Amino acid sequence: MADKKVSKKDIARLLEQWSRQFTVFAPSKESGVAAMAEWDGKDTGFLDWYRNTIIPPKASFLPQMEEMFHFQKGEEGYNIKTPPADERSRLLFGVRPCDARAMAIVDMTFKDAYEDPYYLSKRKNAVLVGLGCTNPCESCFCTSMGTNPTDQTNVDLMLIDIGDEFLIEEVTAKGKELIAKTKDLKEAAKNDEAKATQSKKTAYDRVTRKLDTEGIKDRLLASFDDKEYWEQTAAKCISCGICTLLCPTCYCFDINDEMVKQEGTRFRSWDSCGFPNYTKMPMENPRQEKWRRVRQKVCHKYEFYPMTFDVIACTGCGRCIRLCPVNWDITRVIESVPDKAEAKK
Amino acid sequence: MEQKLRQEAKTLLEQNKVDRIIGFEPGSLKFTATPLITGDKNDTERLIINPFIVNNLADFLTGIEGRVGIVAKGCDSRSIVSLIQDNKVARENVVILAVPCPGLIDLAKIERLVGKNRDELDDITRDGDKIIVTVDGKKKEFSLSQALFDHCLACELPTPQEYDILLGEPRPPAPELQTSGQNITKLKETLPTERWEFWKNEFSRCIRCYACRNACPACFCQRCFVEETEPQWVMPVPRWQDNLIFQIVRNIHVAGRCTDCGECERVCPVNIPLRSLTREMYNMVDELFSFKSGMDKEALPLMAHYEQEEAEDLFR
Repeated sequence: MADKKVSKKDIARLLEQWSRQFTVFAPSKESGVAAMAEWDGKDTGFLDWYRNTIIPPKASFLPQMEEMFHFQKGEEGYNIKTPPADERSRLLFGVRPCDARAMAIVDMTFKDAYEDPYYLSKRKNAVLVGLGCTNPCESCFCTSMGTNPTDQTNVDLMLIDIGDEFLIEEVTAKGKELIAKTKDLKEAAKNDEAKATQSKKTAYDRVTRKLDTEGIKDRLLASFDDKEYWEQTAAKCISCGICTLLCPTCYCFDINDEMVKQEGTRFRSWDSCGFPNYTKMPMENPRQEKWRRVRQKVCHKYEFYPMTFDVIACTGCGRCIRLCPVNWDITRVIESVPDKAEAKK
Repeated sequence: MEQKLRQEAKTLLEQNKVDRIIGFEPGSLKFTATPLITGDKNDTERLIINPFIVNNLADFLTGIEGRVGIVAKGCDSRSIVSLIQDNKVARENVVILAVPCPGLIDLAKIERLVGKNRDELDDITRDGDKIIVTVDGKKKEFSLSQALFDHCLACELPTPQEYDILLGEPRPPAPELQTSGQNITKLKETLPTERWEFWKNEFSRCIRCYACRNACPACFCQRCFVEETEPQWVMPVPRWQDNLIFQIVRNIHVAGRCTDCGECERVCPVNIPLRSLTREMYNMVDELFSFKSGMDKEALPLMAHYEQEEAEDLFR
């Protein structure tokens, strides 16, 4: 079966069609910051400005803040009221391959020994429509991290920019089913495939930042106790939460109760291992010094996640590099991690 | 200026006058500089001074032991002086390498002016009172008020007053100080209800990363009130109400310490115009107490000293 395609000017009509079946999310700056937001029914202006969002699309499944349950003290203990699970079918339009891979990585944690109902209820019915990059950022290094600007691996449908149109690649059964039900799509012409191949190559070549992760797990293991290295690496970090909260693979959350008299609400919200009071609730944060927290962040992504799930929890989206107030650059850090011979104990 | 800086910094380390140098080296992205904190004299070769040295390096002083040589623009020097006033930094432990600063280039403004992202630009240079941006091989000229940070347009002290080594010719303050900036002027013209809606909307997207606080040299509390859990002053949950309270209290806490360096607004990843709050506070401190923070190291800290004669019964 030949591929379908859609004109850029028809994207609003396409999203309008999909809106009947899904809650459609698309890139938007309406809130004052680029994020995936519920589509307003008309805006396709993002096609002009969109490179990637500041707020990663993980926020659609793991919101910055969510109510877990309401509780009230009764005669015999607490009465708990859980809000109805949010099982709306979401369609995320315009997901970048780096972020799609990131969501697959986060899924591993939330589907592991403990299945997280808050995350999975939103995630399980979601359709991801990827949008291949044409203009990667200077800070992007996806091609070193197991993906690339037009990688279709982790989405249901992938749109490739071929000029005035997008070629639609049907990736999963879910994606194929959606396309079968979608009206008014055009059949791809003979040379569209060639245009797509060219578009992919151009985008790939534009990712100039490279990172060699060969043996990184072992190097991190060897340098774990190299305090001097980590102190120097952490020196300019200001311990803010930007690189973690806005990382598409970071999923840590904090839990807080807000209580007035006998009743209250339990919330969870994004947390960061960069914060001095992270994991403070049981006792103390074992990582009081900044260098230990910076080491944790790096090791979690490049050592511990590979040990647990056999994949590096970084997809090269570059947000942490672009947004860091002090230009702390993860690629430079990873390159400089001492190996076994160099590491000081 | 750079050559002199490198030489002076190297000498300070060689003669063991300081344990560390805090300055800037080239960043890993176009048009960026990144803080360099080092005790190795060979690293001083990497020190730079250019219109992109945006960080307020005074922020690092309270976390560092020993004697430090620090590169300071006017605003950084005011923050250092403010820290000295508050007894957070001992004057004898810092060697201030003073950079007369002609103002820093605001990349967000440049992006809006040319309609391109910073990494798509070929070059940004300064020629006298013009900022020249090269895009797709073509040069575009902008005025300083178009291209510099708002806080630079309001800078009262381009050259540090308190220093040990001066690295260039002192510069006068900008001829026409734009003390408030457009945002603040516009906001002040709105009704209080409209302003409330404005801030509610702005703070709705705060992610509580605390970059504003952590980049701020005046925010030196070892433990911030937002992190207190007993009692819990404010929920750590990023609701607009809590976000707004956090920022209002932070603002009051830095009154008399804020030197209008603009870092809080620059580092905010979600574009909250924080300087509209801090600058207004700065102006109020000046109007009410005739106090400009970080100008005089002998002055007592505005909010941290008390005299018997003061009229308030509360503190007697």
